[in-house]
Amino acid sequence: MLAELLNHHLLSSIFAVVATIALFQFVAVFQRKLNAIWLQPMLVSILVIMSFLLWQNISFDHYFASSWFLNALLEPAVVALGFPLYQHLSTITKQWKSILLVLCIGAFIAIVTSFVVTMLLIGDYTIAVALALKSVTTPIAIAIAGQLDGNTAITAFAIILAGFFGALVGPPWLKFINVNSPKAQGLAIGAASHAIGTATVSNISYEHAAYSSLALIVSAVITATFSPFIINFLVTLL
Amino acid sequence: MNKFKHKVFNVLYSMFAILSCVALGKVCAFYAPLLPGSLYGLMLFTLTLHVRIFDADRIKDSVVWGVKHMGVCFVPAGVGIMNHFDLIRQFGITIVMITFITTFILLTIVGLHYQRYANDQDENDDEGSHVS
Repeated sequence: MLAELLNHHLLSSIFAVVATIALFQFVAVFQRKLNAIWLQPMLVSILVIMSFLLWQNISFDHYFASSWFLNALLEPAVVALGFPLYQHLSTITKQWKSILLVLCIGAFIAIVTSFVVTMLLIGDYTIAVALALKSVTTPIAIAIAGQLDGNTAITAFAIILAGFFGALVGPPWLKFINVNSPKAQGLAIGAASHAIGTATVSNISYEHAAYSSLALIVSAVITATFSPFIINFLVTLL
Repeated sequence: MNKFKHKVFNVLYSMFAILSCVALGKVCAFYAPLLPGSLYGLMLFTLTLHVRIFDADRIKDSVVWGVKHMGVCFVPAGVGIMNHFDLIRQFGITIVMITFITTFILLTIVGLHYQRYANDQDENDDEGSHVS
């Protein structure tokens, strides 16, 4: 009985992981062939898998449990981003003041605009906190949202949205407004779209990967440190 | 054959380097819970490479490959959106719109600011090269 169950679980695990990777690779090859940015492999894979699960009436929890192997790789993948960062460490240390300044301004504006606009349009504090934190990486945002009594489910949802939006629209938009330096593009996308954006621009160049992972870390630290003060202050104002 | 052995060794070495940083990152997150373990791990990985505890040349090939393909690891977590359909229905398109607009603003501000700085930097470099 147990062996049978285990077997079953092992099979569905292997199937979920292999199918996810195969689908992702397929879309990636297709994207390169057609040279179409909007065919983002991550996004297309998610949409296809979601439709498949809904169609076959499989719960997300079952798929998530079966694809544990890919999830287990998430942390090592984020740690691996330390490599591009290491390669650009010498240029980054020369510019740390301007980088810190830009990212502080960015984090401040992101928190204030999201919080104020949500309070004005929806008027719900828990959602406003959730949206104020959407530009930082999931584990940090969820932790702060919990601390500030925000809605963690909406936080998780908004983080994914912000991630994909920046990953998809970020590079063409930045080019359009004449932001051509890989450093500026990397910083902007890392600050706005955390790990999802970083994973996407890592494909473009190594410099993108380095500056994007830098923005990911620094923005997370800045937001974790200052968002409780900023949000408490805004609450007294509104 | 020797080359193959070398490659296998480098892959194992990279895995060891990354996993030890993941583990150390978790320890840091346990004692100083300001940041999640993976971000501590990222910084530790950069630091250990910088002070040459790990040999960057051995790690390079496997990590470059890994970083290029890391997107697939985010797919299962992303599918999680399907658990929040009721939230999307409830608050309608407002959340989506606010997220899009504020992400747009953030992208633009950080991008433009740093681009301006990068341009100044280039000009300074040019002037510097004229002088020398």
